Amino acid sequence: MELDLVLKAVVALSAIGIVASAALAAASRKFYVEVDPRVEAVLASLPGANCGACGNPSCFGAAEAIVEEKIPITACTAGGQAVADAVAAVLGVEACAVAANVSLRHCGGGRAASRTYDYSGLQSCASVARLAGGDLTCPYGCFGYGDCMKACPFDAIAMDHRGLPVVDLDKCTGCEACVAECPRGRIGLLAMVPSEGAVAVRCNSHDKPKGRKAYCSMCCIACKKCEKACPADAIHVENLNAVVDYDKCTGCGQCVAVCPQECIDLTGRDAMVSSALADGRGPKVDGFVPRETTRLDFAEEEPSE
Amino acid sequence: MIDMLRNLALLFIGAALVNNILLTRFIGLCPFFGVSSAMETSVGMAGAVVFVMTLASSATWVFWNVLLEPLGVGDFLYIPAFILVIAALVQFVEMYLRKAMPGLYRAMGIYLPLITTNCAVLAAATEAVKPGFFKMNIAYGFGFGEAVVYTLGVAVGFGFALISFAALRERLDVAPVPKIMRGAPMAFVTAGLLSLGYVGLSGMFGI
Repeated sequence: MELDLVLKAVVALSAIGIVASAALAAASRKFYVEVDPRVEAVLASLPGANCGACGNPSCFGAAEAIVEEKIPITACTAGGQAVADAVAAVLGVEACAVAANVSLRHCGGGRAASRTYDYSGLQSCASVARLAGGDLTCPYGCFGYGDCMKACPFDAIAMDHRGLPVVDLDKCTGCEACVAECPRGRIGLLAMVPSEGAVAVRCNSHDKPKGRKAYCSMCCIACKKCEKACPADAIHVENLNAVVDYDKCTGCGQCVAVCPQECIDLTGRDAMVSSALADGRGPKVDGFVPRETTRLDFAEEEPSE
Repeated sequence: MIDMLRNLALLFIGAALVNNILLTRFIGLCPFFGVSSAMETSVGMAGAVVFVMTLASSATWVFWNVLLEPLGVGDFLYIPAFILVIAALVQFVEMYLRKAMPGLYRAMGIYLPLITTNCAVLAAATEAVKPGFFKMNIAYGFGFGEAVVYTLGVAVGFGFALISFAALRERLDVAPVPKIMRGAPMAFVTAGLLSLGYVGLSGMFGI
C-alpha cells in the first residue's frame, strides 16, 4: 500500500513534468523570437539605469534603436564618452566625441529671495507653482522645494542650506530629468551647459533690474561690468540678464571677480558646496551666507553659525 | 440559471472583497509591500497577477481532477505538483506573449517571472481545488466555472488592494509624517488600517 502510493506520486509528478517540458520545448521552437545578438551586446555596454534621457523607455529599447540605427551611438547622454566608445566597439563603427552636458541652475535666490505668501502645503515645486504662480516673488527663480532632487535618477542633486538645489557635477550625466521636472525648467531656470563650462550666472530674471533687486538680493542687475571685464568677449547682457557663451569662455574668472552681486559663480563651486555640506563645512564656502531661516526643512542638518 | 449567476456573482465578491487575500487572509504580502511604493508598478503587478492567477488555477484545477485526485495522491502532492504546473505555464505564457503580443510582454515583462510561484497564486490554485482550505467556509467542491470565477475574484481583490495601497503610499510620501515613522513603519500602520476596513466586511453574503 505504502509503496503503491509512492509509485503513484512518482508517476503523477513525472507525468506533469514530462507534459510540461514537452510543451515548453515545443513552445520554445514555435514561439522563438530572434533577438539580434548585437542588441544584447549593446545593452550590456549601456548603463542600465533606464533613465529615459535618450527618449526610449528603457536601456533595452535604446539598445534596439541603436542597433537599428534609429538613434546615434552617442544617444546615451547619461553614459557619456565611455558608453559611446563601448557601443561603437560592439557595432564596429567609428567612435565619435560626445558633447557632455550638465545641469545648471540659473538662480541664487533661495531663502534670500522674498516670498509673496507663506506656503505650507505639499512640499513640491510643481504644487506651489500652481498656487497663484508660486510663493516666490521672482517669476523666474527657484522655489526650492526640491522636485529636481527627487527626479534625479543619479542622485546628483542635493538641497543645500540656502534652499537651492546643488548639482554634483561628477554625478550629473546630463539626462535632463530635472529640467523636465522643474516647473520653470522651460524658462531656463535649469539648463544644460557644456560640462567644461567654467562660469555660471545665478540669475534667470528678465524683469527690470530695480524691481528685481527689491525681491532678491542675489540677482543680476544687468550692470554689464562682466561684459566689460571679459577678455574673451564671452559674456553679454541679453534681455537684461548676463548670458555666457560657453564656446568663447576661457574660464579666466574675471566676471566672477567684478560681479557686484556675487551672482556669477564658478560652476565648480556647486560641486564644492555639496561636498562641503557633507563634511559639515557648508557655511565656510565663500559668498553663501544663509540670510534667514524659514520653516522649510531642506537639508538634514542646519548649518551651525 | 439566475440562481447560478447569482451564486457566481456572490462567489466573486466574496473572494475579491470579503475574503480579500491580502487584507483579510494575509497571503502574498511580499508583493503587497514590495511593489506598492509606486502606482505604475502596482498596476503592472495587478494586471500580471489577474492574468497568471486565473490561468494557473484553471490549469491546476484540470491537473488535480484529471491526475492527482483519481490517483489519490493529491493531498500530499499538491504543492510540488502545482508549483511545477504554474512555473511551466508561466514560462509558456511568457514565450507566447513575447511572440504574439510584444506590447503586452513589455508591459508585464518583469512581473511575470516574479509571480511564478508567488504564495498568493499558489493559495488561489489550492483553494480552487480545495475550497475552504484557507478558512473560507465553502463546504462543496468547485466546478471548473466556479474555480475560474473564484480565482478571478481573488486576483481582482489582490489587484484592488494593491493599487489602493499604492495610492495611499503615494499620498503618504508627501504627507507630514513624523521622521521616526517614515517609510516602512507608516506603510505597515496604513496596511493595518486598510485591513481593518476589509475585515469589517467579513460575514457578509454568508460565504
